[in-house]
Amino acid sequence: MTVAAGIGYALVALGPSLSLFVSVISRKPFLILTVLSSTLLWLVSLIILSGLWRPFLPLKANVWWPYALLVVTSVCFQEGLRFLFWKVYKRLEDVLDSFADRISRPRLFLTDKLQIALAGGLGHGVAHAVFFCLSLLTPAFGPATFYVERCSKVPFFLISAIIALAFVTIHTFSMVIAFEGYAKGNRVDQVIVPVIHLAAGMLTLVNFASEGCVIGVPLLYLVASLTLVHCGKMVWQRLLETRNQSSASR
Amino acid sequence: MDSSSILDSLGVEIIGVMAPVSICMFLVVLLTYSLSVTSDPQIRTAANLIYIENPSDSATVKLEGSLLNAIVFVVLVAAVTFILVLLFYYNFTNFLKHYMRFSAFFVLGTMGGAIFLSIIQHFSIPVDSVTCFILLFNFTILGTLSVFAGGIPIVMRQCYMVVMGIVVAAWFTKLPEWTTWFILVALALYDLVAVLAPGGPLKLLVELASSRDEELPAMVYEARPTVSSGNQGRNRGSSLRALVGGGAGGVSDSGSVELQAVRNHDANQLGRGNSHNLDYNAVAVRDIDNVDGHGNEDRDVVERSPVVAISSEQSTAVGTRGNIEDRDNVMDEEMSPLVELMGWGDNREEPRGLEESDNVVDISNRGIKLGLGDFIFYSVLVGRAAMYDLMTVYACYLAIISGLGCTLILLAVYNRALPALPISIMLGVVFYFLTRLLMEPFVVGMTTNLMMF
Repeated sequence: MTVAAGIGYALVALGPSLSLFVSVISRKPFLILTVLSSTLLWLVSLIILSGLWRPFLPLKANVWWPYALLVVTSVCFQEGLRFLFWKVYKRLEDVLDSFADRISRPRLFLTDKLQIALAGGLGHGVAHAVFFCLSLLTPAFGPATFYVERCSKVPFFLISAIIALAFVTIHTFSMVIAFEGYAKGNRVDQVIVPVIHLAAGMLTLVNFASEGCVIGVPLLYLVASLTLVHCGKMVWQRLLETRNQSSASR
Repeated sequence: MDSSSILDSLGVEIIGVMAPVSICMFLVVLLTYSLSVTSDPQIRTAANLIYIENPSDSATVKLEGSLLNAIVFVVLVAAVTFILVLLFYYNFTNFLKHYMRFSAFFVLGTMGGAIFLSIIQHFSIPVDSVTCFILLFNFTILGTLSVFAGGIPIVMRQCYMVVMGIVVAAWFTKLPEWTTWFILVALALYDLVAVLAPGGPLKLLVELASSRDEELPAMVYEARPTVSSGNQGRNRGSSLRALVGGGAGGVSDSGSVELQAVRNHDANQLGRGNSHNLDYNAVAVRDIDNVDGHGNEDRDVVERSPVVAISSEQSTAVGTRGNIEDRDNVMDEEMSPLVELMGWGDNREEPRGLEESDNVVDISNRGIKLGLGDFIFYSVLVGRAAMYDLMTVYACYLAIISGLGCTLILLAVYNRALPALPISIMLGVVFYFLTRLLMEPFVVGMTTNLMMF
């Protein structure tokens, strides 16, 4: 429905990430590079998954369990890749720290590490939004709109943008939780991230039922806000800890 | 905090190159989408010499034809490069400079004008022809001036480089599909050979230029990082090099060789006989190694950029060149298959580098130079991906950017002229076909059922 609607849908899915990008990420070139590389990683994982599943496609539209299997395998694969991403990041952190020592600058601060994790998560989120929502948005710039029978109250573009927004939030902030969890060895944090991702993926299966999106999407937003709250609490605690430490050491 | 973190300035140089490349690609995609440029099979250009692609041909015919087209194209380019090396050997520098200015004028005027006209037509912008002509004329003259004359702000020069890249890439996307892919791959391979192999024309050019210490004007994009004040400059240039150099014990010397080959292709179309103008501009830029520890000697981080441009007019129909019509597809392309790295200095030369840049106007002390041809061919690949779907656009964009990043890192490691096309184009082509064949059915099948992860 015209260019305005098309841009509107795109902004619904990517607006918060755009403002995050402009305010936090664009200040530091290294974070832009982190966003780009994590997007690339997500793309590669998607290509590998589609390569694995290609012989079985197209799936029948009325049976739900192949889709469930699809979602479960994809989520497991991506969580595995997240762990790998963290390993690579660990090595990079060592390189950066030794570089900082060599040029007599302070090592990476906690805020730096959190920002890198945020940039990584944002990369994943943006990749999700682009591939699952934006790439299908091209017809929305034309004069008409499109509805799917399973969710007939809302145009398809709008509902996919809304779902993409929830997923962007989940991806962005669960990366921060995951990195902190791996760094601290905190079991709860380490486990909660795959659980959230899997829960979110499973919730979209609810959309399979007729008019299921009325229940599925609010629940998805519940999961997203849970992620946000948990991440916020965790970061706040860590920052307080660090500040107490540095003031105690003075 | 009293001291800033290293994260503030790390990677500035890379972003300084990636940003204009991204802008160029984005605008070419926009142009492709809004103008819905369809490849016109009736145009015969240097890229289409042997075989004009017809959508109704069978796959094998298209394959053979496109392969032949690509091979002929690369052979032409190689031949012109060799002529370029010869010309450079015989010192025709002024002629080359003037020719470069002329080709910039021509590209902006005719091809840029054609694009503006189609934009005006498409969006029904109410502007009369006199105004349009005056605006176009001003635009073109400013572009010509900003390419080589001194005293123009660097931002203007950078903008015009990007604009020229967009204009030429938008023209290139009119080529038929199979031919485009084969030409891209063939050029990437040619680039690799020409720069790295011992007998390669571009390598010869670099050696000639370095043995003579000559300077040539170049159609390159210079990403000069902002000069920060005082002691912050310590880490400006050396951060990436030092980071990559890693355990090798810190920063090394600042010599860097840069090479760009700029190639101009002029081809007139059918109806006028097969008149071709093949111009080849090769640009080599060189940075003299800094002399360590020689007392009061000024360590010049000087960049001289020798440029050799060659134009061989094989056409007798000179009058047709002046014929400016929409059908007159003159293809000017500057190909810079190489990336150059200049002035990765160590800490000692930083203050002196600042003085240098104050005194001399047109010497760039820091920053990476990327040839215009790289912009063009990256954008052609992304533009061609845009004709299929937005998903392929994003995948190819990521592939090209990561290829560019790899090339830049290799540049910091090896510190010599490197071809910028091969890695990115190969990654781009691979990702395009993988996305189109594998990912599309997967993702579309899921999202239309509102299932995501």
